[in-house]
Amino acid sequence: MQLADNLRQVGDPAADRPAADPPFKVEITGLTHSFATRGKVTDALSAVDLAVREREFVALVGPSGCGKTTVLNCVAGLLRPTRGTVNYDGKPVTALNTRIGYLSQKDTLLPWRTAADNIRIAMELKCRPTSRAAANAKVAAMIDLVGLKGFERHYPAELSGGMRKRVALARTLIYEPEALLLDEPFGALDAQLRLIMLDQLQTLTTIRRITVLFVTHDLGEAISLADRVVVFSARPGRIRVIRDVPIPRPRDIFRVRFDPRFARLHEELWDELKDEVVKGTDI
Amino acid sequence: MQAAVAGLAKSATPFTAYLRTTNRAGAAVWRFGVAIAALLAWEAVARWTASIWLSSPSLVAARLADWLRGSLYVHLAVTMEEIAVGVVLGTTLGAVFGLLLGRLPTLATLLRPLIVALYNLPLLALAPLFIMLFGLGFMPATVLVGVVVFFLVFFNTFSGAESVDEDMIRSLQIMGANRIEVFRKVIGPASVAWIISGLKVALPYSLAAATTGEMLAGGNGMGGVLTAAAQQFDMTSMYATLVVLMLAGVLLNLCATRLETWLLRWRHAAG
Repeated sequence: MQLADNLRQVGDPAADRPAADPPFKVEITGLTHSFATRGKVTDALSAVDLAVREREFVALVGPSGCGKTTVLNCVAGLLRPTRGTVNYDGKPVTALNTRIGYLSQKDTLLPWRTAADNIRIAMELKCRPTSRAAANAKVAAMIDLVGLKGFERHYPAELSGGMRKRVALARTLIYEPEALLLDEPFGALDAQLRLIMLDQLQTLTTIRRITVLFVTHDLGEAISLADRVVVFSARPGRIRVIRDVPIPRPRDIFRVRFDPRFARLHEELWDELKDEVVKGTDI
Repeated sequence: MQAAVAGLAKSATPFTAYLRTTNRAGAAVWRFGVAIAALLAWEAVARWTASIWLSSPSLVAARLADWLRGSLYVHLAVTMEEIAVGVVLGTTLGAVFGLLLGRLPTLATLLRPLIVALYNLPLLALAPLFIMLFGLGFMPATVLVGVVVFFLVFFNTFSGAESVDEDMIRSLQIMGANRIEVFRKVIGPASVAWIISGLKVALPYSLAAATTGEMLAGGNGMGGVLTAAAQQFDMTSMYATLVVLMLAGVLLNLCATRLETWLLRWRHAAG
């Protein structure tokens, strides 16, 4: 894949990490979110505290309905917390957070635009004035990066699920957000394609030095990619445990599961998670 | 053709023979056959009964041939012009109102019930009103067409604008799009499909509206031809007019479908 070449050109990303602790990109304190359905008020989240440093890759894992997507949405500014604060770059998130990139489970590509035009769309906006030539160059670079050369003029209806996800990733990365919020973006893909996408994600976020909040229900996925794994309890969601992933970078996503450190951490966290999963299925 | 005949040879009845047809060409042949059979039946009954109310395909064809030599085009052009102007006006207004009300719920609560109430007015009742307001001739028919098209396009566009995928809108907002950009890049294109479907539904009604307006208002256009023929008990001319109107309707629908296929080519793109 072209990505390996790109990586070689940039150099070893691990060496670029600064010695001192980078500042906090996202700070969540006492985050509570409740919603009302048919007169009943339910707590989705209950007093969540989490601090994410710049360029950190943090995975949020938990059973269905535990509120991990709610955390993501609060950081994105899509939801207002009922109680508690969410700070991005030291400032509270009050409106839609346009400094981040958001990739959801559903690929919300515009079906009437070709792949290239979908990727281009962020550069067409007023908040980001770009010349035609510059935008075209960026789009071409993105297409190369996600390996979709030859499919630029295809409509989403003509692309496979994996390709659509790659277009979605490209259109999010093109405006170089400092942080990425990903909500189970590869859930709908088959296992092999998922590994390939996870590998691409690792490479891209390391090259671009992006802070990542990655929501998944798959513990293995979380441990493969993340610097830290946060395990949530069932609804109302609280943080049950946070663990550092001791496996050094860069990781070989395809073989990391055979690392003994992977197995140890997986077992430890699975014990925490499985109780919550059982509780979660009662909802 | 061979397939149809072969199928006929093998089957007990013509209908089962048709069911054996596997390709589109075969089906077209059968369709043609049914139409020819109906015309022959009409011709036979007409000759047998010699009724003045029936006319006959041969007489109607002769009348049409005569018209095609010159006198048809003036009237057809008038009707088509009324439809064209009415459709453009009605679609524009219907789309604009539909988009605005679809995205501004407070405006919708205010105006939509009024529009629904107006929609209940029968077309025929509006025609005399328009004649008084706009005089005889071209205008009343055009306004009638515009009204019919407006309502249908409005309701379709309204539903479409209301039901645009919120996730699509949100993903663009997170990228930093303002309200106008969301409208231009998401809501507008998403609603095109609905606008076109409203237009396609409206076209047959617009033909009826134009003809009705002409029948009540003036002497020109196909509606005028129809009234003149009726006054003279000229059945052949009446049937001929209906044939022309039918063909005009089919042509309009064909054009609209072509337009739809082109505008929505991203939908049909899937292989």
